[in-house]
Amino acid sequence: MLAEHKIVHQKAIYQYLTTDNKGLVLESDDTFFANIQSQNIIALHPFFYSITNLLDTKKEEEFLFSCIHLDTDNKNIIADITLKTFAKENPLLIIQDLTTHYNNYQLTAQKRNESVINSQILELKNKYLIEKEEFKNTFIANFSHEIREPLSGISTFVDILKKTNLNTEQADYLNIIKTSSNHLKHMIEDILDISKIEVGKLNLLEESFNTTAFLEEIIFTYKVKAKEKGLDFNNNIEEKLPNFLLGDPYRLKQILSNLLDNAIKYTKKGSITLDVSLNQIRANKANIHFEIKDTGIGIEEENFENIFTSFSQINQNQQNKGTGLGLAIVKSLVELMHGNIAIQSDFNKGTSISFNLSFKLDGSSKKEKVKTISVEKKEKEKYNVLLVEHSEITQLSVLKILAAQKRFFLDIVSNPEDVIPTLKNQKIDIILMDINLPNKTGDTLAQEIRQLPEKELKKIPILALTGKLFPEDLKRYKKAKINDVIRKPFDEKSLLKTIHKYLK
Amino acid sequence: MSISKKIILLGHFGVGKSSLIRRFVEDTFTDNYKVTIGVHILKKEVNISKEETVSLIIWDLEGNDDITNTRPSYMLGTSGIIYVFDLSRPATYKQLENDINYIKTNYPNTPVKVVGNKKDLVTKDFLKENNDVFKPFVDFFTSAKANTKVNDLFSTLAKELIL
Repeated sequence: MLAEHKIVHQKAIYQYLTTDNKGLVLESDDTFFANIQSQNIIALHPFFYSITNLLDTKKEEEFLFSCIHLDTDNKNIIADITLKTFAKENPLLIIQDLTTHYNNYQLTAQKRNESVINSQILELKNKYLIEKEEFKNTFIANFSHEIREPLSGISTFVDILKKTNLNTEQADYLNIIKTSSNHLKHMIEDILDISKIEVGKLNLLEESFNTTAFLEEIIFTYKVKAKEKGLDFNNNIEEKLPNFLLGDPYRLKQILSNLLDNAIKYTKKGSITLDVSLNQIRANKANIHFEIKDTGIGIEEENFENIFTSFSQINQNQQNKGTGLGLAIVKSLVELMHGNIAIQSDFNKGTSISFNLSFKLDGSSKKEKVKTISVEKKEKEKYNVLLVEHSEITQLSVLKILAAQKRFFLDIVSNPEDVIPTLKNQKIDIILMDINLPNKTGDTLAQEIRQLPEKELKKIPILALTGKLFPEDLKRYKKAKINDVIRKPFDEKSLLKTIHKYLK
Repeated sequence: MSISKKIILLGHFGVGKSSLIRRFVEDTFTDNYKVTIGVHILKKEVNISKEETVSLIIWDLEGNDDITNTRPSYMLGTSGIIYVFDLSRPATYKQLENDINYIKTNYPNTPVKVVGNKKDLVTKDFLKENNDVFKPFVDFFTSAKANTKVNDLFSTLAKELIL
């Protein structure tokens, strides 16, 4: 019984045939290819052409060809084909039909391959998006840098023009120019900040700051701004706050300023309140709660998430126009400082935005650390300043600012090649160095100065004048032993403050 | 006069080997990807000159991301090799140099044509930017979909096979 089943089963899936050494069929059991005696196997399917050269080996050998698709006009099968050759007998071909088995395997292979290909395509798309994002951010950074240069000129000359004899109308126009250029400057700063945050290039400082002095400055600024709009400004600062903290006061100021500016912008009447309180001190860290409340137009609950998204503005009327980046920057900075931002708002009643941040305690700071640089301190001396700058606007800006002080002699060099000869021929007290110089970067030139054999020359303080302030740029300046950086666009105060810091 | 020659197509899965053959043999194309398992064998006559034709027995092999895993029996009696990669998927040409060296070492007297397929999916700039990667190896940039250089590829190889 079993033997009969076996014969029936094998007969259904096997075809055996013998050929001569040229491929002529001698015997066949006709399972798939019927009535083929005396035909050449080449005529059955192109596969058999490929094995004709193996038929004449006259050696005992076995060749297995697995998973061959034998598609003919009558039948399509997927088979394993074994060719056996013998020393004295005719070659034997065994065709085993494994169509069901291979079709099942095909389904598995299809799923696997599609999944691999899709994941490779996804990876590529992701890579493309990252590259596109990096290109965008680099473009923004470079573009913003280019805008800073003329903006610096506008800002400086408005300040200078303000000190001349102007009638009321002219002074009003000048104020508009100043406000507009400040607004433009802030927008550029916002765009630069968000692009830095998005590529993970925004590094936080860790420096000591006086908590009271820090908050007093903010309160003073925003009391004035609130009053200008007819609003009350309240503050509740807890007395228990530590005197000195370690953290990034500039970014903390940016967070609070953005939130307070926003509160004032969207409040027509009522008040703005700043609450700062101590949550706890643990493991030498103070956790501080900040909250800004207003009685403004409020935000509908469904928009809570959107307000922290880049370029998103809920209220898009002309009066409230801006880049829509302020709150996105706030959220990113708070998260960068390991805090979380929370929002509560009643539509048409007001909004409260709060966050908690941890700062290390600065126990070493017993005395006042905030130094005020006195611009007047060295008024009897005259200093020789060398400005290395190719932009005529910046040259004129620095010239006007320093000339007004009447305590500086200014030499201007636009070609980097002339710098070292100038240093050798004239006594220079300080160098102001543009970084984007023609043919040579400012930091390369600084390195060359630091390598000069003359001790007094290589020690001259060098201050970079630049808008390129990414962490990798700052590292380069430090490596070139550049003493400090004056950020473009600069104003009179920041320029003089940094210069005086390095004058002996 | 007509002679028959076996050629095989090698390369990763999904690079378009079957599509190139379908375009060459049947002049058709489909966007639906169907995995090849084992081997499909097709035949096509190629006119070399007025008097001469070559009957190409084309073995369309299952894609494999490691060329050394190709079943040796498939390679028996091969007169020519077409190695195909997908221009739009770097994973398929990451090992290009090693794969070509492997083929040339193991089948030293067999003509090989190296093909960057799916040209329709990449830009001219992409080809320029990657010139250093492709130029030393690639013989044809093809597109089975757009029918670019497909006939050139097979007839060039066919001519080399009867030299």
